[in-house]
Amino acid sequence: MIIWVVIGLFAVIILWLILIYNSIISLKNQVAGAWSQIDVQLKRRHDLIPNLISVVKDYMEFERDVLQKVTIARSGAMNASGIGEKAKKENILTEALRSLFAVMENYPVLKSNTNVLELQEELISTENKIAFSRQFYNDLVANYAIKLEKFPNNIIASLFGFKHAEYFKAEESDKVLPKYRAI
Amino acid sequence: MPITFIDIERQKTYRIGFFFIFLLLLYYLVAVAFAQGLFFVFPILFLKADSIFIWNSPHILIIVFVFCVVFALLHFYLSGFNAVKTVLRNIEAIPPDTNDGIHKSFVNVINEIEIVNGCSGKIKPMVIPSLSLNAIAVSDLKGDSAIAITEGLLSRLSRQQLEAVVAHESYHILSGDCLEATVATGLFGLYASMLDKLQSFGEDEKREGGLHPAFLLFWILVKLSHLLNLFISREREYRADAAAVKMTRNPVALAEALYLISNNWKGAGFIGDGLEMLCMVNPKESEIEESEGFWANLLSTHPPIEKRIKILLSIAHLTISDLENRFNVEHEKDEKEIKAEDKYYILDKNQQWQGPFHISELKEIPWFSPMTWIKRTSSNEIERASEDDALKLFFETHILYKHDKYASDLRCPLCKEPLLKIPYERTYIFRCHYCKGSLVDNDKISRILARREERFDERIALLAKAVQEDNKRAMVLRKTKGIVSGNRRLLNCPKCQNPMMRRFYSLVYLVEIDRCGLCNVTWFDNDELEILQYITEMRFS
Repeated sequence: MIIWVVIGLFAVIILWLILIYNSIISLKNQVAGAWSQIDVQLKRRHDLIPNLISVVKDYMEFERDVLQKVTIARSGAMNASGIGEKAKKENILTEALRSLFAVMENYPVLKSNTNVLELQEELISTENKIAFSRQFYNDLVANYAIKLEKFPNNIIASLFGFKHAEYFKAEESDKVLPKYRAI
Repeated sequence: MPITFIDIERQKTYRIGFFFIFLLLLYYLVAVAFAQGLFFVFPILFLKADSIFIWNSPHILIIVFVFCVVFALLHFYLSGFNAVKTVLRNIEAIPPDTNDGIHKSFVNVINEIEIVNGCSGKIKPMVIPSLSLNAIAVSDLKGDSAIAITEGLLSRLSRQQLEAVVAHESYHILSGDCLEATVATGLFGLYASMLDKLQSFGEDEKREGGLHPAFLLFWILVKLSHLLNLFISREREYRADAAAVKMTRNPVALAEALYLISNNWKGAGFIGDGLEMLCMVNPKESEIEESEGFWANLLSTHPPIEKRIKILLSIAHLTISDLENRFNVEHEKDEKEIKAEDKYYILDKNQQWQGPFHISELKEIPWFSPMTWIKRTSSNEIERASEDDALKLFFETHILYKHDKYASDLRCPLCKEPLLKIPYERTYIFRCHYCKGSLVDNDKISRILARREERFDERIALLAKAVQEDNKRAMVLRKTKGIVSGNRRLLNCPKCQNPMMRRFYSLVYLVEIDRCGLCNVTWFDNDELEILQYITEMRFS
């Protein structure tokens, strides 16, 4: 009799462990999926920038340094590896693009060029997608961290060597509400 | 509230189950009552039964129940399965045009919001060709969902405001609110329309309108469907607002959007009965919507907009008066910009300064070219017209577009010149550079009327007034005395070469247009498009 009780108890515990393990695994994969979404959007931004610059540069003779800054930031971001470094380099690029958009406001000719408008719309959309996918990713990373650190889960996590995922951090300046009026 | 939107998704299926049980109960009650009625009317049929009351014969109850389950399932399936298409057809929504700047950014915004929700479920963007300001979200049992926004709202919102509105609607879709509401409208909308028909039928047949038995049944069902509205509580609007802030992290944009909508036409009239619970703001203005208290909370589907705005603004530590100030400042700035716009003196062939001319007046001057010497009113500097930034733009739109690159195969119905495809109000129209008449696709007219990028000067205002009065007189003459004045010959459609119909744009907007019913295009003579735009703008501001 007692032996059955012990076996039953053992089976319950094993099942319970499996459940916890699986839930951690599924969250881990969600985090990975969210990261790949960020990656897709970052890549798209890298692809769009050269187009914008080639269209804009004829009109913006005097803003060479702004354009150059964007180009340099882009190549820096493309060569970055690892989440932490990528986040840092991409934030520099975001900053550079933002100043380019601000300067573009001063050129009414650009505002009426449908080509530029389309590109700008694409870039703004991609910027937003990056921000949103980062938001989603960071939410999931936080959930993942909570899951790993909660009481019985932390034993399993340390048993199987689960590690916390890294946050995709925003720059300090990003925390202020942007004031610009998008088109 | 769950932490990610993926979790919300899971909850919605079981709540819809309540609806089904409600429907089943309804059917069952009605069917049992009906069977009991049969017992009384035809007792001979049931002589074998032990008693005249139905609840004493359980086998009949069970048979009735099985029938009810089948009927309820069928009804539920039919009404809920393809509801998105039905509702969208009902409000005449069309898919966005990807060549159109504003529609493109709407599509992009929807994609962005999908990403913030973790890409759970595709949302179809749709556009309602109406000048009113409202948004509507639908989803059905098939798993389709769509967000439809009116042309008017699309053109008035900034990108961030649009994002907030879409986020709000997408939460309704994610949380299943929308599915419930869509199914609820689908379940009883059928009966409501049937009742309508029966009522008009009864009135035609006999004035006294005796109580038809079927009529009573439908009446009960429709009344019960109003009870369903009680399930759709105001709370969900607050929750959707909160979720929208969580997605976009921008409470002010949503407050601004709500403020803008609350001060304009919300689309009462074309958004049908029973659809209001799917809308962002209730299209019908009613006292109960804007008040609070137990009954108001119970009976209305939307909370007072003012309270929603207040809650949103309090997140950003602002008050409504701050918001109003902001709008006023922007408005003043716009007006100042118009006033501050430079006028130009130009040097004519006899070396005389002419002017000052507004930029829109310059296009009327035949000898004005990029090489003409100009002087702004604000400065004394004299330069070539081509050196001025604003004028550069002017030449691009008025002279550059004469280039072959922009020419289309279509020819002007008046002067037979090739029409040029030019960008106008973030979309494209065909314009004759010679007579300045324009050919517009019919589905683009509502877009152009909703948008306000082009500015109109006094000339258009005066023209609009004169044309309106002229046409009013012509119409009165025609209606009262049958005099048709100014019988110009009909123009031929540039596309199919058949004669176009000449008529007024509408009885409210008395602008004469030529329309081809076959190709769905409209021809506007010189300035007529601008006049129509000016009149609609005046009416809606």
